[in-house]
Amino acid sequence: MITASTWRWPTPNGLPPLPLVGGVVTLLGVLWLTAPIVEVDFVRLFGSFGKMMHFAGQMFVTPDWGYVPQLLAKMLETIEMTVLATAIAIVVSLPLGLLAASNATPHPLIYRITRDLLSLMRALPELVWALVFVSAVGLGPLPGVMALAFVTVGFMGKFFAESIEVVDHKAVEGVRAHGAGWLQVRLFAMLPQALPDFVGTVMYILDHNMRAAAILGLVGAGGIGYDLVMSMRLFQYDRLLLIALAIYLAVTALDRTSDHLRSRIIHGRHA
Amino acid sequence: MNAQPLKAALPEQLPPKPRNPMPVWIAATLAMLWLIVWDLEISFETLAYGVEDMAEYFGRYGQPDFTNLSRYLALMGITLATALWGTVFALLVAFFLAPLAARNFSPNAVAYRIARETLNFMRAMPDLLLALLFVAALGLGPMPGALALGVHTAGFLGKFFAESLERVDRGVCEGVASTGANFPQMVMYAGWPSILREALGYVLYILDRNVRMASVLGLVGAGGIGLALHDTLRLFDYGQSAALILVILATILMIDYASAWLRRRLG
Amino acid sequence: MSVIHARSVTKRFPNGFEALKGIDLEIQPGSFTVVLGPSGAGKSTLLRLLNGLETPTSGEVRVYGQPVDRRHLRRIRSQVAMVFQQFNLVGRLSCVTNVLTGRLAHRSWVGSVFYLFREEDMAIARGALYRVGLTDKAWERADKLSGGQQQRVGIARALAQQPKVILADEPVASLDPVTSEEIMTLLREICDRDGITVVVNLHQVELARRFADRIIGMNSGKIVFDGSPDQMTQPVLRTIYQREGIEDDNSLDMALAYA
Repeated sequence: MITASTWRWPTPNGLPPLPLVGGVVTLLGVLWLTAPIVEVDFVRLFGSFGKMMHFAGQMFVTPDWGYVPQLLAKMLETIEMTVLATAIAIVVSLPLGLLAASNATPHPLIYRITRDLLSLMRALPELVWALVFVSAVGLGPLPGVMALAFVTVGFMGKFFAESIEVVDHKAVEGVRAHGAGWLQVRLFAMLPQALPDFVGTVMYILDHNMRAAAILGLVGAGGIGYDLVMSMRLFQYDRLLLIALAIYLAVTALDRTSDHLRSRIIHGRHA
Repeated sequence: MNAQPLKAALPEQLPPKPRNPMPVWIAATLAMLWLIVWDLEISFETLAYGVEDMAEYFGRYGQPDFTNLSRYLALMGITLATALWGTVFALLVAFFLAPLAARNFSPNAVAYRIARETLNFMRAMPDLLLALLFVAALGLGPMPGALALGVHTAGFLGKFFAESLERVDRGVCEGVASTGANFPQMVMYAGWPSILREALGYVLYILDRNVRMASVLGLVGAGGIGLALHDTLRLFDYGQSAALILVILATILMIDYASAWLRRRLG
Repeated sequence: MSVIHARSVTKRFPNGFEALKGIDLEIQPGSFTVVLGPSGAGKSTLLRLLNGLETPTSGEVRVYGQPVDRRHLRRIRSQVAMVFQQFNLVGRLSCVTNVLTGRLAHRSWVGSVFYLFREEDMAIARGALYRVGLTDKAWERADKLSGGQQQRVGIARALAQQPKVILADEPVASLDPVTSEEIMTLLREICDRDGITVVVNLHQVELARRFADRIIGMNSGKIVFDGSPDQMTQPVLRTIYQREGIEDDNSLDMALAYA
C-alpha cells in the first residue's frame, strides 16, 4: 500500500521547493477570492453544456448561399484593412523604431519620449481606438484602418527598436569609420542587419491584425465584424456558420503562409 | 586602333549583375496598396481636411470626469479577474495539449495531428466571436468572457509551448528516453524543465494580452469595463469616456510593468 | 546465453547513407567490449540499435533473448542503460533528480510525474552518486558541473537503473585525457565489481588497448576485426582505420601511434 511516509520529493528535506509551493498557493488563493467576481459557477457551466451543444447543433443548418457575395466582399474588406493598416504602420515604425533604439537615437530625451509614446500607443486594444475613431470620423473602414495602424505602430516600433539594439556594432563602426554620415550609418549598417528579424515581426503582426480586423466591424469600423454580430443577434445561423467558416479559413491560411515564409527566411531566402 | 591589347590586359569582366527583383516587388506592393485605398473608398483628402476637426474632437477628451471612478475601478477589477481566470484555463488546457502537439514528444502521428489541429482551431476563432457564442449559451456576465479568453489563448499558449518543446535538445530527450521513460515521464522530466523559463514568459505575455482583450469583451455583454465605454461614447459623454480610457490605460500599463518585472526576476 | 545478439543487421538512413552493412554480433554477459573505429564507421548506430534509439532496416537484434521492438522497449531499456558523449542530462534539474530518472521505468509512473519517489529509489540514487564520487554535488543543478562531473552523473544515472548492460557511446570524446582515464577506470570497475556487461564506443586506440577484454573493429559499416587487444596488431589497425583513396603508407601508422 502506498503510505505517505515512503514517498518524497527529490529535495534535501523531501518537500517540494518553497517558491513553487508559495506560488501555487498564492495563485489558488487569488482564484478562490475572485471566483465570485467572475461568477464562476461550475454547476452552471456543466449545466449549460447541453445548451451549448443544442446551440452548436442549431448552427449546422443549410448555409445561406445567397449571402456569399456579400460575405466575400466583407472578407475582402477585412483583408484590405489588415494589409493597408500594416503597410502604413511599417512606414511609420521604421523611423520611430530608429528613434526608440538606444544605439541609434539622436538624443536620450528623444529615446525616452519615443519609447513612452510607443508604449502608450500599444496599451489600449484596437477596439477601444476603433470606438474612438468611429466617433471621430464616422462609420466605415477608415476608422478601422486608423485604429489598427495606430496600435500596430506601437508594437512594431518597439520590436523594431529592439532588433536595431542587437545589431552587430562592429559592422556599424566599420561603416562609420569610412566617414558615413549620421543617416547613412543608420540606413546602411543598422537597418539591413535588423531587417530579417523585422520581416518575421511583420508576419506575426499581419497574423494578429487579421484577427483584430475581423472584429472591428463590431463597432462599425469596417470588415466582417458587423455582419458577425448582427447575424448572431438576428439568429441568422445560416449566415453565422458561413461567417465563422470564412474567418477560420482566412486566419488559418494567413497563419500557414506566415509560418512557411518565416521558416524560409530563417533558412535563407534562396533555400 | 590598338584597343585589343589593352582589353586583353584587363582582368576578366565580372559576370553580369543578377537582375534585382526588389524594385518590382516594391512597385507591386505600392500598386496593391493604391488599389486597396481605392476599394475601401478611403479619401485621404477628407482625412486631411478632417485633421482640424479631429484636433477639436480629441480636445473634448481633455477634461476627464472622474465622478464615477469607484464604479469604474470595480469594473476594472472584474476585468482583471476575468483575464486571470481565462489565462489559468488556457494554461491548463495548453499544459495537456502542447506535449501531444510537439513532434518529438507526441506518442503517435494521429495524436499529434489531432492536438495540432485542435490548437489551431482554438486560435483561429477570434475571442470576441467565442464570447458571443458563450454569452448566447450561458447568458450575460464575465464567465462566458473568461471562457472565451481561455479557449482562444489556449490555442496560442499551446502552440508556443509546443514549439518550445520541439526545440528541446535531442540529446536531453534521448537521455531520459534511454532509461525507459514513457510519454508522461518524458514530458515531465525532459520537456517542461527544459523550457520552464520560456514557458513562464509566454504565460505572462498571454496574461498581458488577456487583460487588454478582457477590457473590450464587455461590448458583447461579457462583463467588465468595455460596455461602460461603449455607452459613454454613444451618449457623447466625452468626460466620462476620457476617465474610462484613463482607467483602462493605467491598469494595462501597470500590468505591463508588473509582468516585465516578473520576467526580469525569473530571467 | 549471450546478452546481446545481432544477426544480419543493416541500417540505411532515409538520405541513403548505409551505416551498417550486415552485422553479426554476440556479446557475452559480464564482458567489457570496446567498439573501435573511425568516424562514420557505424559504431554509434550499432550501439543505438541495442537500446532502440535506432531501428534496423533489416536483420534482428535481441537483448537477453527479447527482440528490441516497441512492445519490449520499456523493459529492455530498464535493463540496458546508456551513457552519452554529450552526457545528455537535464541541465535544469539537480544531480539527484537526474540520477533518479534512472528509476523511471522501474515502477508505475503515477508518482513520478509529480516528482514523487519512493524512499528505496532515493537510496539507490544516493548509492549511485556515492559510487561515482559525487555525493557533495548531489543537490546542485546538473548544468553547473564540469564535463567530467556531468559524465559521472550520467554514469550514476545508468547505475541507478540497476542494469544488466551499460552502453557507452563515445563517453570520453568530449573530455580531457586525465578525466577520460578516470571515466574509463570507473566503467571498468563497474564491470568487474558488479558483473555488468559493458560495451563502449571509442576512437582512442590506446584506451581501447588498455581497458578492453575484447575489441571489435569497425570500418564503413562492417566488422573488420574481433579479438583481444593483443591480437590487434598494426596491420589490423590499418584495416580498421583505412579510408578509400588514402595510400597505405607511413602517415597512417604515425597517426595511429598517437591515437
